[in-house]
Amino acid sequence: MSVFGGDSWGREAQNRKRRIDEFVLEGIDVDGSSYKKLSSGKYACLVCRHNPIFDTPLMLSIHCKGSRHSAAKSKAKEKELVRQDEINKRLALQGSPTTSSVNSSTTTKQNAQLATKPLIQMAQKAASEILGNKTLKHDSRNENLDMELRQNDIKNVTPDFFRNHSYPENETSDKLIQQHLDFRERRERELKFISAGWKRDCHGKWYKDENVEFDSDEEDPNTSF
Amino acid sequence: MYLYNLTLQQATGIVSAINGNFSGGKTQEIVVARGKILSLLRPDDLGKLQTLHSVEIFGCIRSLAQFRLTGAQKDYIVVGSDSGRIVILDYNKEKNVFDKVHQETFGKSGCRRIVPGQYLAIDPKGRAVMIGACEKQKLVYVLNRDTAARLTISSPLEAHKSQTIVYSICGVDCGFDNPIFAAIELDYSEADQDSTGVAAGEAQKHLTFYELDLGLNHVSRKWSEQVDNGANMLVTVPGGGDGPSGVLVCAENFVIYKNQGHPDIRAVIPRRADLPEERGVLIVSAATHKQKSMFFFLLQTEYGDIFKVTLEHGNDGVTELKIKYFDTIPVTASMCVLKSGFLFAASEFGNHALYQFQAIGDDPDVESSSSTLMETEEGFQPVFFQPRGLKNLVRIDQAESLMPIMDMKIANLFEEETPQIFSLCGRGPRSSLRILRPGLAISEMAVSQLPGVPSAVWTVKKNVNDAFDAYIVVSFANATLVLSIGETVEEVSDSGFLDTTPSLAVSLIGDDSLMQIHPNGIRHIREDGRINEWRTPGKRTIVKVGSNGLQVVIALSGGELIYFEVDMTGQLMEVEKHEMSGDVACLDIAPVPEGRQRSRFLAVGSYDNTIRILSLDPDDCMQVLSVQSVSSPPESLLFLEVKASVGGEDGADHPANLFLNAGLQNGVLFRTVVDMVTGQLSDSRSRFLGLRPPKLFSVKVRGRPAMLCLSSRPWLGYIHQGHFLLTPLSYETLEFAASFSSDQCAEGVVAVAGDALRVFTIERLGETFNETAIPLRYTPRRFVLHPKRKLLVIIESDQGSYTAEEREAARKECFEAADMGENGNGNINQMENGGDDEDKEDPLSDEQYGYPKAESNKWVSCIRVLDPRTAATTCLLELQDNEAAFSVCTVNFHDKEYGTLLAVGTAKGLQFWPKRSLVAGFIHIYRFLEDGRSLELLHKTQVEGVPLALCQFQGRLLAGIGSVLRLYDLGKKRLLRKCENKLFPNSIVSIQTYRDRIYVGDIQESFHFCKYRRDENQLYIFADDVVPRWLTASYHIDFDTMAGADKFGNVYFVRLPQDVSDEIEEDPTGGKIKWEQGRLNGAPNKVEEIVQFHVGDVVTSLQKASLIPGGGESVLYGTVMGSLGALLPFTSRDDVDFFSHLEMHMRQEHPPLCGRDHMAYRSAYFPVKDVIDGDLCEQFPTLPLDLQRKIADELDRTPGEILKKLEEVRNKII
Repeated sequence: MSVFGGDSWGREAQNRKRRIDEFVLEGIDVDGSSYKKLSSGKYACLVCRHNPIFDTPLMLSIHCKGSRHSAAKSKAKEKELVRQDEINKRLALQGSPTTSSVNSSTTTKQNAQLATKPLIQMAQKAASEILGNKTLKHDSRNENLDMELRQNDIKNVTPDFFRNHSYPENETSDKLIQQHLDFRERRERELKFISAGWKRDCHGKWYKDENVEFDSDEEDPNTSF
Repeated sequence: MYLYNLTLQQATGIVSAINGNFSGGKTQEIVVARGKILSLLRPDDLGKLQTLHSVEIFGCIRSLAQFRLTGAQKDYIVVGSDSGRIVILDYNKEKNVFDKVHQETFGKSGCRRIVPGQYLAIDPKGRAVMIGACEKQKLVYVLNRDTAARLTISSPLEAHKSQTIVYSICGVDCGFDNPIFAAIELDYSEADQDSTGVAAGEAQKHLTFYELDLGLNHVSRKWSEQVDNGANMLVTVPGGGDGPSGVLVCAENFVIYKNQGHPDIRAVIPRRADLPEERGVLIVSAATHKQKSMFFFLLQTEYGDIFKVTLEHGNDGVTELKIKYFDTIPVTASMCVLKSGFLFAASEFGNHALYQFQAIGDDPDVESSSSTLMETEEGFQPVFFQPRGLKNLVRIDQAESLMPIMDMKIANLFEEETPQIFSLCGRGPRSSLRILRPGLAISEMAVSQLPGVPSAVWTVKKNVNDAFDAYIVVSFANATLVLSIGETVEEVSDSGFLDTTPSLAVSLIGDDSLMQIHPNGIRHIREDGRINEWRTPGKRTIVKVGSNGLQVVIALSGGELIYFEVDMTGQLMEVEKHEMSGDVACLDIAPVPEGRQRSRFLAVGSYDNTIRILSLDPDDCMQVLSVQSVSSPPESLLFLEVKASVGGEDGADHPANLFLNAGLQNGVLFRTVVDMVTGQLSDSRSRFLGLRPPKLFSVKVRGRPAMLCLSSRPWLGYIHQGHFLLTPLSYETLEFAASFSSDQCAEGVVAVAGDALRVFTIERLGETFNETAIPLRYTPRRFVLHPKRKLLVIIESDQGSYTAEEREAARKECFEAADMGENGNGNINQMENGGDDEDKEDPLSDEQYGYPKAESNKWVSCIRVLDPRTAATTCLLELQDNEAAFSVCTVNFHDKEYGTLLAVGTAKGLQFWPKRSLVAGFIHIYRFLEDGRSLELLHKTQVEGVPLALCQFQGRLLAGIGSVLRLYDLGKKRLLRKCENKLFPNSIVSIQTYRDRIYVGDIQESFHFCKYRRDENQLYIFADDVVPRWLTASYHIDFDTMAGADKFGNVYFVRLPQDVSDEIEEDPTGGKIKWEQGRLNGAPNKVEEIVQFHVGDVVTSLQKASLIPGGGESVLYGTVMGSLGALLPFTSRDDVDFFSHLEMHMRQEHPPLCGRDHMAYRSAYFPVKDVIDGDLCEQFPTLPLDLQRKIADELDRTPGEILKKLEEVRNKII
């Protein structure tokens, strides 16, 4: 800090400047969610779509008074409201005992996140909900991932009122894993049939690829599935 | 990636050989061309072939000829190469090098159709040389000498004739008339014009004589006459006063004598009785023997039979031409008849041989003659003969040749310190599996058990002037055993040695007295039997000893050194005492320099990790001259003196040098140069030899001092052709050794290991590998290692041979016809072509005579399971029905009960001419029985092409059948086709797999990278190469990289760019790989060439391996000419810079011998990329010293540092 010398007015001036900056920033936003201080010491506006960058808080404050920023701000506010609305709606809709027992704040957060996340996680969410309802329906692509996720979910959703009889909980979990393994096995067998030259028609029936040769006693997937 | 190319074993095959007096004087030498290497060989007095000099010329030698100026005593060598230049070389005996006398440029470089270099012909009187191309161009150079008797060469005279193909040229001996050259030519101008093909059918070969008019200095076509269209070779007939002049025209089935103005004299070449009618007989090599009174020719046919051709001639020309069966030896590329009565046969394939003439074929034998030639309606009456055992020749030596290496794998099947190289070599009945091990070959002379476990052994002479050793002294833990060397080796007690104590050293001291040093004193045994005993003071014992012939230094426990010298009267006198700071670890005294009284240097190794050099001069006795600290306590020390030499038989000139070698306790051999005057140590090098501390012993190798280092395996350090080489010996671990010389074995080594005393000699110095050969039946094609059982499965096949049963029947018939009856030879064993080279009991070994020839569409083939440890064939399946095996692999089918199976791809009735066709292809599946020792056919599956490549992939079998890549699964009765890709351009020759990637090599379009998608059951080609390479070898380096070799002699690496690779791997939907299209039927992505190098020899196999324990891996390659090389990746940028600069300077300062530009040679087909030629860099020590210094200066180093660097990089490979 002593670029201005040991006991010069410089340090004081620096402090003064910093204090002014703080004041200015406080004036822009109280919780600091509409801008970000970058590592370079500059400021980026988080509200506007293109995240413009400003050298000083003063410039930022001027920007915040601008029409473009205020338009963006109102838009963002609107969005937030819609989201909150949606969350509330969902919370109201979630009537199942498992989910309702879960700490509501975490669920909200989860849901809030999920709303903005891509399709795949929404699908996972749906799957976890369905799992909660003990109806199995699998996404075939990311089995491995699902497996872990689901187990986590199961842990999460283990309701407080199940705690006093832990036996059924274990059973469900084992059953789930078992079912899941079955599914993997099934997928593996399916792949084996595909690589052995079987194909599926539009009805899901298996038929032999005419370019592939088969052994006389080869297993028929139509019978084994 | 930067690579360093180094040839580990030079080519062993020979393409051309000539003989003459190249060093001047009486001795005859042989110059052989081995592709890119020119060597000078000489049979020594014992009839062993010795290589005197060998040099890589960085070009392709296409022809060799020798000539001698009239009245001179020395022959010059003319080399026709791909350099577009004619080069005349002279062998310099003093320096042991080839000197370039003349180099004349006449055309473009490269092996081209119309650029001369393919043919060479010499005027027999040495006045002119003709160099010809395959087509059109022929140039004649006039050779003469100037006033200072130096050879001069004229500007070229043209003897071109366009649109003419040349088959052979030779000089015509017409005494001192104008020189004449003869050529077999075919004019295709009419055939070229005539589109109907009639003229092509009528094209006729002509024999043309070209006369060089020395007066007018110009060449003219003198005479031209039709010859048989089967004519392929010309042989000069002696003329002038020695013979009738003219030429022998060797044609299919005939030899014709022709000369201008002389009627043709024609005789038929006798045929083997069992030869099919469709086959003709061609002469492939010829040699002329000429003495004052007579001359004859030896002509060899393509079947190996040699005929002696003689001419009856008088004043009215030649009256009769006789062709007499002489002997049968393996087919040669060249034959040389030496004046000393030897015949050098440079084999086309397999080992070369030196034969001695027992007779010159004067005994009656099958003979055809021009006078008895009968012409019938069907043509000329043939003469038949039956090949027999050698009668006129006897083989006295052979030079091993790996040519051609068909396949090679490196593995440590024997669990030795270094891996073994398994290579399939040779062709037809002379083929073999050769197991190469890095190291020198040993021949064990004797092994005898001793009563206890000996600790040390010495040999001593009784007198300095004795040629042979008198005693072997063996020391045990508490006794000494003395053995006298005579007719037998037996224990003696009258030697004067104390036998109740262990010995520390035994040697000859002074001129004729013996010295035994034991822990309690020195026993000096004079010649007359008087014994002087010196005892150690007090209770101290002697721990270490160093001595040479005149000086002895002993170290007592506690670190006191006592120095003795032999005085004038032969007494051992104490001279000086010296107290060292601690115990002495080892001692050695330098050998006494010639003409001196004493040596000046004593080296003392201490346990404080230092070596001190102490002076032994009376002036400053026991003064420390220099100190060297080392990484670990020294265990053993040895001074090695290299005497000054200027060339001589082996070695460039190097000054006298004294080296101090130290074996350290951590297994490192430390070597440093001792300044002969000051005793300062400099230029130290170290090399790890093995786990045990090396013990060093001085031995003699070819009369020069050498060093034997005994670590966990024995090593020999010796000077060979001017280089210091440190090579392992292929022998077991030894404890102690000494040189051994007796009348049975002039230069041997006696060593102790365990409780045995071993005597052995070291053979074939200068070679990197020693080999064990196991004979095979047919030309080996490929082999695989059985992964668990350590067995080899080899497939062999030959075209144009009868099957084993047919051969057996024919043989029986033949023996009956020869009235030999069945004397136990007709058993199945002899089909195994001997097993031993000297299989005398078999009168007609296939190895010698070749298999009887059948029609060209007949194939024989076998699958062999071989145990390399016992060299025993555990199973041999002959394929039936004209099938031949082409590919092999082991395969484990997933969840099938058989375990490892063997897949063999075969073709039935394969024909290449007039059109490539086949009856059917098959894939055989075999099961291993009896621990993999035998095979059982499970089933075979017919396929539509030749399966040239097989590979296991994800529990299934991938096969390349013609241009189709197909995935098979194992079925009950046959293989089941599961998936295929037909988009490959030509024919698949190699398949390698890694994870889900498949690397496919096409016969002429390099690599294709493929991927198998299991969820779609599809094979996709996602990348290929832009260069159309004719692939001969391939190896998978890493996930994105392949190494390959093409048939033009290039080695290259291709790599898939990282971004493409990532993209391919991260294709979640799989749509991209499926729908992406390349252009012009190519793949969508292209691989990049990252390394390119012209080896100059067709590489047939590539493998990544490390030949030294714990060393880095390099890519090893084997070539058709039988050479082995390595490509070592550089690990530091500094090394790359250093070697590329060294290479650049070497290119400038030391251009290759035969005129090919080095850079152009290494870039012959594609520009060389990121490979440094170690072979060129290693020629650095052969440069004159001032040039070495100049280059070193420019690199900011000393020549010693450069040599050290070269040695270092070589030691990284082998």
